[in-house]
Amino acid sequence: MANAWLYDGRSGTRHDVAVAAGADGLLLHFADGRVEEVAAASLFHATDRDGALVYGRSGREGWRLGLLPPVPADVAAMLPAERRYGSWIDRVGLVPALAALLLASGAVLGAGYLLPGALAPHIPASWEKRYGDAIVGDFGGKFCRGPGGAEALQKLARRLSPGYADFDIRVVDVPMVNAAALPGNHIVIFRELIAEADTPDELAGVLAHEIAHVRRRHVTEGMIRELGVGLVITALGGTTGGNADMILGSRYGRAAEAEADADAIAALRAANISPLGTARFFTRMGATERKLGRLGAAFSYLSTHPLSDARRAKFRASFDPNRRYTPALGRDEWEAIFNICFNDPAKRAARGQPRALPPAAR
Amino acid sequence: MIDDNGASAPEHSPPSSYDGVSPSDGGTAFRFTGTWTEYLPIALTNLALTIVTLGIYRFWATARTRRYLWSRTHFADDTLEWTGTGLEMFIGFLIVMAFLIPFLLFFQFGFQALLLRGHWALAIGGLVAFYVGLFYLIGLATFRALRYRLSRTYWHGIRGGSDDAGWGYAASALGKTLLSVLTLGLLVPWTMTRLWNERWSKMSFGPHPFRAAATQRGLIGRWLLLYLTPVIAIPLVAGLAFAVGPRGGMSEGGILVAFAVVLVLYLLILLVSLAYYAKFYRRAIGATALGPLDLAFTARSSDWLRLIGGTIALIVLTLGIGLIFVPYRNWSFFIRHLEATGDIDLDMLTQSTARGATDAEGLASAFDVGAI
Repeated sequence: MANAWLYDGRSGTRHDVAVAAGADGLLLHFADGRVEEVAAASLFHATDRDGALVYGRSGREGWRLGLLPPVPADVAAMLPAERRYGSWIDRVGLVPALAALLLASGAVLGAGYLLPGALAPHIPASWEKRYGDAIVGDFGGKFCRGPGGAEALQKLARRLSPGYADFDIRVVDVPMVNAAALPGNHIVIFRELIAEADTPDELAGVLAHEIAHVRRRHVTEGMIRELGVGLVITALGGTTGGNADMILGSRYGRAAEAEADADAIAALRAANISPLGTARFFTRMGATERKLGRLGAAFSYLSTHPLSDARRAKFRASFDPNRRYTPALGRDEWEAIFNICFNDPAKRAARGQPRALPPAAR
Repeated sequence: MIDDNGASAPEHSPPSSYDGVSPSDGGTAFRFTGTWTEYLPIALTNLALTIVTLGIYRFWATARTRRYLWSRTHFADDTLEWTGTGLEMFIGFLIVMAFLIPFLLFFQFGFQALLLRGHWALAIGGLVAFYVGLFYLIGLATFRALRYRLSRTYWHGIRGGSDDAGWGYAASALGKTLLSVLTLGLLVPWTMTRLWNERWSKMSFGPHPFRAAATQRGLIGRWLLLYLTPVIAIPLVAGLAFAVGPRGGMSEGGILVAFAVVLVLYLLILLVSLAYYAKFYRRAIGATALGPLDLAFTARSSDWLRLIGGTIALIVLTLGIGLIFVPYRNWSFFIRHLEATGDIDLDMLTQSTARGATDAEGLASAFDVGAI
C-alpha cells in the first residue's frame, strides 16, 4: 500500500487514499471504505511536486493522483514512465537526441544553403522578369534620363559582357553610394556612386561585378533563399532560427561576392580595361568609411559589398604592367553618364547645373 | 515576505479531507518555492534542445519551464499545475502562421510594388488597413493567451478558462487604441484599466468568475509625468550637454556627449515608466477578485527596479546566458508580490465548464505579446 492524495477533477475536495496493485491496474482505497480500480494503461505522468509523483488519467480532466514515497515495487511497476523533455526524446535519451537533432538541423541548414543554387537555373526567366518588373517599376520616377547616358551604360555593358547584355541598367536619383542587381536583369546604380567614381574604369569594375551577379543568377538564388528557405526557417525557428539563417545568409553572401569579383576581374581582362581603377575606387571607399565611422557607412556601398584588403589586392594583382589597356569609355560617353541626373530636364530643377568631370578623366 | 528558497514554508501534512481553505490563514496565500539550482538543469537542457532544433523546441521548452514554475507555486494548501503541452503550442503557432504568412507576403510585395509605381492613395489605404488588422489581432492575441493560460492552470484538479472567444474584446481594444492615438495618448490610463477590466471579467476559474473594477484614479499623475518627461527633459538635457560638452559638430567628443544624452534620457524614461507600470499593476490586480477571493499585488517601483536591474546585471555578467533565467525571475517576482484574501469552499469549487482553448498561444507567440 502506498499513501496518496486524489483530486477527482469534479470538485476541489482532496481525498486521502491508499493505493495497492490490482490485477491490471491500481486499487484506490478511500477513507469511507470505497475501492476504485484504475486501469494502469489510462495513467500518465503529469508532474512532481512536494515530493509526490503525480499521475493523471486520460479522459478524466483534472483527475490527479499524488503518490507519496515510499512506493512499493508492485505499485511502481504499474506506473508509466516519467515525462521530461518530450515523448521521443525521453525514449532515446537526452544525449542521443541532441546528437540526432544536431545532425538533422545541420542537414536542414545544408539544404537551405545548397537548394537555392540548385533551383535558380530552373526558375523560368519570364517569371523572374515579371517579378523584377513588378518590384522595380519605374522606381517611383527616380530614374535619371540624361541624354546619351543610357546608351553609354549599355555600351559599357556590351563591352564587359559580350554576347549577353540583356540588362536594364539605370542610374537612380537617390543620394547613396551603392549599386545593386535586382531580379529580372535589373541593375541599379545610385547617384552618388557615379559622383564618387573618378574615371569610367572605376565604374566598369563595379558594373562588371553586378553583371556577374545577374549572369550567375545570384539574384535569383537570393530571392529563393529569402522567400523560401529563409522564411520557413525564420518562421518556425523564431529567434534561434533567425540567427542561424542570418549566419547562413552572410556566408552565402560572401561566397557570391567572391565569385562576382572573380568574374569581374576576368571580364575586365577580356575587355582590356585596367583593373587598377576598381582597386583605387575600393581604396577611396575604405578611406570614406574610416572618415564617416561605421555608422555613417551603414547605407553605403561597403555595407552590401564588404571590403577586405584581400578583395582589393585581387584586383590590383590582376594588373598587367606590360599590357596597353584602353579606357572603359570615351570622354563624351563618360560625361553623359557622369551627368546623367544633371542633364535630365526633369531633374534639372532639383539638381542644378551639370558638373565638370573630375581631373582624372581629362 | 517569503525568501527564495522557501525557508519559511510551513510543514506540509494535509488533513484527510478539506471542506475549505482560508488562504490568508498562514500569512501570504501565494508562495514560490523554486530554487535556481533546480531550475538550472531545466533551463540549460531547454537551451541546448532549442539550439539543435533551430528554435522549434522553444514551445516544448516553454511548457517545461511553466510545468516547473507552476509546480513550485503554492496557493494556500497546494501547488498549481501547468498542463499545457509543447505540441499544442506548436500546432497553435502553425495554424496562425498558415493564416498570417500569405497575408504578410501579399502585403510586403504588394505594398512595395504600389509604392514604387507611385500609387500613393492605394499604398496608404493598404497600410492603414494593415495596421487596423494588426491591432485587432494583437487585442485578440492578448485575450486568447490569457484564456489559454488559465485553461491550462490547475489547482486542486480544477482549471480556469473563458466562454468568450475574445472577438468583441479585440474590437474594443482596437477602438480604444485608436482613441488613445487620437487623443495623443492622454487617455492611456483609462484605456488600459478599461481593457484590463474587460478581459479579466470574461475569465473564470472553476465555477467562479473573475471580477475586475480597476479605475484610472491615482494613475493619471504618473502617466502625465511619463508623458511630459521627454517634453521637459529633452531640451533640458540637450541644453546642459551643449553648455558643458565640447564644441564641434561630429567630433569624437560630440558623439560621446550625444550618446550620454540619449542614455540619460533613456534611463529617465525607463524609471518614470517603471513608476507608472508599478502603480498600474498594483491598482489593476488590487481591483480584481476571483469569486470569494480578493487579490492584491504589492510590488512597488523600487521592487521593479531591483528586478530589472538584477536581470540586466545577470545577463551582462553571464554574457547573455542569464537570459534563460528571465522567465524564472519574472514568475517568482510576480508570485512573491501576489496576495489573496478570502475563503474558498472546496466542495463548491467545481470543475470549469468553460470551453478548453484549442489554439494555445499561437496568435500571441506570433505577435510576441504577453498575457497579463
